[in-house]
Amino acid sequence: MPDPTRRALGGPGVVLVVVYGVLALAATGRSLLQILSGFDRAPLAYALSALAAAVYLLATWCLARGGKWVRVGTWACTVELVGVLAVGAASFLVPDAFPDKTVWSHFGQGYGFVPLVLPVLGLLWFRKVEREAAAAEQAEASPPDAGQPGSGRTPDAPTA
Amino acid sequence: MIEPLTYVVVGLATLLFVGSVYYAVKDRLIDDRLLALAALVEVGLLVLLALGLANLGQITDSTEKATFAAYLVSLPLIPISTALLTIKEKTRWAMGSFAVGAFAVAVMALRLQQIWNAYA
Repeated sequence: MPDPTRRALGGPGVVLVVVYGVLALAATGRSLLQILSGFDRAPLAYALSALAAAVYLLATWCLARGGKWVRVGTWACTVELVGVLAVGAASFLVPDAFPDKTVWSHFGQGYGFVPLVLPVLGLLWFRKVEREAAAAEQAEASPPDAGQPGSGRTPDAPTA
Repeated sequence: MIEPLTYVVVGLATLLFVGSVYYAVKDRLIDDRLLALAALVEVGLLVLLALGLANLGQITDSTEKATFAAYLVSLPLIPISTALLTIKEKTRWAMGSFAVGAFAVAVMALRLQQIWNAYA
């Protein structure tokens, strides 16, 4: 059952889902093509393409579902960020290892650098969802009029 | 037949993009007019899918042929999935997501045309 306090789809999240969905579609398409048309030609690049496609699909799912998937999504976005940075750098430093392109080659240049920007936006969004959920849980655990010394939150200025 | 239809689809998708951005700015939710435009784009993409698959033999390079087919199949999924998301979401971000989908359709349809131009 989805956790209502960790709803990741509302607001800006819906745009992220669409962008992630399109990228997942493109990455999956490219990866299937590359593997079907000859995996031996560039095994490292093609394996990375398949990994990237799987991670994008996972991240899209996590954004759409929210709840307990928020944590999984954070990991997926972290893997993407590390992937695009590592593969991006490697494709410049050791071009021979990448005879064919992956989504992450040259920091995602072939996709308008969207693969570089997207995981950062995803991480920021998941962090916001997580924080709001944590704040809501805390508020529920201790109602505001019960008085909570040392909670670190300034209550509304007393009028008395 | 494929070429003029692609340009019609690109035109309609661009119109849909501009309309969605306008709605997002004005903080309006999706209505029948935009949905009808999206439906037109969808019909165009489905006809394109049928025509493209029927004429797939004209593309001789196997990689290009596969890319062409992948785009043909992927494209019709976008308006449907973004429309479903947009109808459910009740903030202005919904129109933003619709705009992103329309933009993706326009770009992918142009890419489709590039591949087709090289062989037809």
